[in-house]
Amino acid sequence: MTEFLAANPLYIVLGIVLVIWFAIVGYLMRLERRIHDLEQSNTR
Amino acid sequence: MSGKIRALPWKGLLGVWTTLVIVLSLALPMVARPEHWYEFPIVPGLEDKARIIFFHVPTAWLSVLAFVSSMVYGIRYLRRKDLHDDVRSASAAGLGLLFCLLATVTGAIWAKFSWGAFWNWDPRQTSIFVLLLIYGAYFALRSAVEVEEKRATLAAVYSVIAGVVMPFFMFVIPRVLESLHPEPLLNLEGSAGSIPVPKLQMNTTMLAVFLASLAGFTGVYYWMWTLRVRAGTVELRRATEGEDRD
Repeated sequence: MTEFLAANPLYIVLGIVLVIWFAIVGYLMRLERRIHDLEQSNTR
Repeated sequence: MSGKIRALPWKGLLGVWTTLVIVLSLALPMVARPEHWYEFPIVPGLEDKARIIFFHVPTAWLSVLAFVSSMVYGIRYLRRKDLHDDVRSASAAGLGLLFCLLATVTGAIWAKFSWGAFWNWDPRQTSIFVLLLIYGAYFALRSAVEVEEKRATLAAVYSVIAGVVMPFFMFVIPRVLESLHPEPLLNLEGSAGSIPVPKLQMNTTMLAVFLASLAGFTGVYYWMWTLRVRAGTVELRRATEGEDRD
């Protein structure tokens, strides 16, 4: 595995970009829920 | 019908779409003479560094889209005096600034590997730096005015002026002055004067992934924008309710 990644460093970049992307999606989902809760509490 | 469309899990689809685009843009091989559908052509002088276009160009495109929509909602605010338009305009400007910053950072990382330094005061870098200053000043202006209506009016006028100036910095100046930046994708006949610059020539697969990346990033921008607008609307409603109570 280490040898494969050393020979193909682009896959390390791919891994990092995917981690960042999933973190962004997770953060947006969390924001979505929080804003939804705020909207609900505002309409009550 | 529209209810059904709204009920589609578009955010899930967007997540899958963009994940696929990221994987394809970084994992598909680059070869001198592509013979299979899954191969990208090598860009002479750029090689693997050319893959930055799948991330850098969409961020730059989104900053333009955001600044234009900020201007459009600014004009709408000036015509209708509806504070919701101010929220939409400010949300778009904020995202425009974010994507402009991302375009600057991704461009600087690319410049380090291609030109040897993160920052060279190339016309592209200088013009995007001025744009960052212009839209940074927009938020300085907003934070300096406390009265909501006055702040919204001033910000709307500023967003219109900034929106008119923006194309000159984004499209005109980098094309007029000599630059080391690779030739613009949509200007195949263009040239940067006497300086030889790499020219991106995409095959169908590369173009398809690039367009898919543009679409995916635009979807992410729209998602972020709606979240900011919804949060801003809640804040606005609470502020007006507070004023009514007083």
